Amino acid sequence: MSTSRRFEVFAIVFATVAPLVYVIAVENNYALITYHPITYSFGFGAQQPGEGPAMYWFGWMATAALAGGGAGLVAGLLPAALTRFLRPALAWLVPLGVLVAFVILLRDYFLR
Amino acid sequence: MWTALLIIHGLLAVALLGAITHQACSACLPARKPAASFQQRFRAVPGGGYVDAIIFLYILTFLLGAFIYPEYRVSIRVVVEQMEAWAENGAFEIKEHFAAVGMAMLPAYRFFWRQPSAENQRTRNALTALLAVIVWWNFLTGHIINNIRGFGA
Repeated sequence: MSTSRRFEVFAIVFATVAPLVYVIAVENNYALITYHPITYSFGFGAQQPGEGPAMYWFGWMATAALAGGGAGLVAGLLPAALTRFLRPALAWLVPLGVLVAFVILLRDYFLR
Repeated sequence: MWTALLIIHGLLAVALLGAITHQACSACLPARKPAASFQQRFRAVPGGGYVDAIIFLYILTFLLGAFIYPEYRVSIRVVVEQMEAWAENGAFEIKEHFAAVGMAMLPAYRFFWRQPSAENQRTRNALTALLAVIVWWNFLTGHIINNIRGFGA
């Protein structure tokens, strides 16, 4: 595969896998790291709040970036015959679906 | 310091909003040339020239937002909850998730603008429109939250 095609495969897979893993990570709290803003400290994995709140957003993104980046890199190394099924539309259809999913998941905020 | 950073975050967001709106309009509603009216000239810009600026502004705005987010979590969100401003709180929850999803789209966004073939046009337009929706939502939500309780208020 050419470098351009490899990057295309990486970009499509990253835009597909990272949002999907992100929404799964949010729903199940699969945070790679936790930030404790009161003590300015990071901890590994999803930790319980200590002094003050615990922030998982950074950890969810780290989980998604790792999964998406890994999947994209692996897909970029695959032979062209195996990546032909990848459709460019996945790069926006999946993120769009994830955006809609978040609005649905968080609808209770707007229905109180 | 937090107020200054929030203002810079807001100014970067304004620049990003202008750039992505210009590009999205030119991609999805291209004007016939020569453009005569203001609306047509607004839609007649060469969208490809905005790509790197939009990516740079998105990442910079995102990083600055991520840096000041803990201060929001500790000082602002509690107040918004105490005010029972649930819709506004929910809008901010959506904002943080939208911003993360937008980051994941940036490599594809760049690729499909850098390979401007006719068969990529729908993907390019859809990615641009989706990024525009994210940027508009995040901008308006940030503005509303700042109106409720800006840093230092």
